Amino acid sequence: MRVFKTLASALALATISTATLAASCTNDTWNKVMERGKLVVGVKADYKPWGYRNSDGELVGMEIDMAKDVAKKMGVDVELVPVQSSNRMQFLEGGKIDLMIATMSDRADRREIVGIVGPNYYTSGTNVMSPKAVKILKWEDLRDKPVCGKQGAFYNKIVEERYGAKVIAFTGNAEAKQALRDKKCMAWVYDDSSIGSDLSSGDWPEFEMPLNSEDDNPWALAVPLAEKNCVFGRFMSGMQYHWLQSGELIELEKKHGIQPTVFLQVQQERLKDWLAE
Amino acid sequence: MKTIPGVTARASTDLPVLKPFDVAAHSPDSMMMTRWVAGLPWWSPAAILTISLIWPAIAYAQSSYSIGQATEALWRWMPFLLREGFLLNVLISIFAMLIGTLAGAALGLGQISINKWVRRFAWFATQLFRNSPWLVILFIVLLALPFEVRIFGTIMTFPDWWKAVIGLSLPVMANISEIVRGAVASVPTAQWEASESLAFSRRQTLWRIILPQCFKRMIPPWMNWYAILTMATPLCSLLGVQELITLSRQAMESENNHPELLMPFYGFALLMFFIYCYPIARATIALERRFSVKL
Repeated sequence: MRVFKTLASALALATISTATLAASCTNDTWNKVMERGKLVVGVKADYKPWGYRNSDGELVGMEIDMAKDVAKKMGVDVELVPVQSSNRMQFLEGGKIDLMIATMSDRADRREIVGIVGPNYYTSGTNVMSPKAVKILKWEDLRDKPVCGKQGAFYNKIVEERYGAKVIAFTGNAEAKQALRDKKCMAWVYDDSSIGSDLSSGDWPEFEMPLNSEDDNPWALAVPLAEKNCVFGRFMSGMQYHWLQSGELIELEKKHGIQPTVFLQVQQERLKDWLAE
Repeated sequence: MKTIPGVTARASTDLPVLKPFDVAAHSPDSMMMTRWVAGLPWWSPAAILTISLIWPAIAYAQSSYSIGQATEALWRWMPFLLREGFLLNVLISIFAMLIGTLAGAALGLGQISINKWVRRFAWFATQLFRNSPWLVILFIVLLALPFEVRIFGTIMTFPDWWKAVIGLSLPVMANISEIVRGAVASVPTAQWEASESLAFSRRQTLWRIILPQCFKRMIPPWMNWYAILTMATPLCSLLGVQELITLSRQAMESENNHPELLMPFYGFALLMFFIYCYPIARATIALERRFSVKL
């Protein structure tokens, strides 16, 4: 993993230097998509209900619907490529995908690697699931305790640095939850919305979400860094603006059975057309 | 005083001597993976499946998500996992073996070349890829090769699983190279001398006399490496290749990540690899027995 990360950051660094050199817009990605007649979007296949597979193997979910909408507006076909948190930015900058809508939290260090364009389309906070018997009351209780997490999540590092927890990161959530149940860790750190739906399913009666969510962090989609201030970046800003203003994302949330977030309602209110009824 | 070699002094001679045939040196290595797999009784997969289905029922008796639901989930996903997942593992292993064998044979012959530089290069390439971790080679290949190439205006995409094929074929190549070199070296040198005395050229000797004898003894280790390679294909899941293990994880995600799913799903993957590799292992043993030297 270390080798991979070193190589990946070297690759990212190389891309940044070329991107800053080429200040003027060449619109390479946009032109390639148009020429090919196909938009390749990197989405999650392991993040229900935003991106996952149905039992026929097709990719479905809220972000998949968004990706299809983008392709429809561009008038091209869509190809969905499953990405993981650990490789999504490399795939985008390497040119394997043209656009990434993959539950990515908008972080300052990520903006240096990929072309993140606003406005943010979603948000989620960090929380933990822990056994009721452990009685965790505040984040500080996690100090020097083993905490399970998922590889590639940005808050793993935050929980380690801010609260001194010892994060054990797994490749899959099933493995992380298994470790939690096996008492290999005190808590499982993840998105609050996902933990909430697990707890409400009734399969985790011995567990609770005891803390206040932290780091409410907007999600961002991304285009290649070179496209950020060019046609593709501007177009994606427009797409997101429309999704938020028209309430289409609220509709999608409902369609996929996600608990309604205040964020989307606030955004719709904020962007309301002043002439509309 | 006059010495008598072999009696009053060490036996030595400068005349060519045909030494007795060393059976142990020509028998297959008992530590081979295929021998171990083939040594398992035939009912092992059934036992594994039973355990993987019963285990969660014992371990998670307190959970409301029943083992019946987990098995039912596996049943629903099975066709997809087989069709899209395991088939890709098999395809990757076949293509990697094909490329690895061709390149490895060339490299192995390079190792016995009469040209010093060809020999050195072949030796270096063999040792490099034989002594590197497979995962590291896979990562390097994934990052070094482009996602697509533009040839005369048409865009050719280079899918991930082809990178995995190339990444896996490199260590296989190096090991096949050693098999070829070893097989050639195992042919008694008298064969070379005899063919030289019959005025065969080096190329004729190699192709008509030495290699036909090697072929037979290379088959068991070659199949052994195929079995090892097939079992190594799940490494590709770390590169995001959509093979059996990656898809199993995604399937478990869709089933809400109940830990009860872990044993049935990974047990199923194990079973698939066993069913595929067990006949190969048995066949390897059978071939070894047929080709073994009988005294």
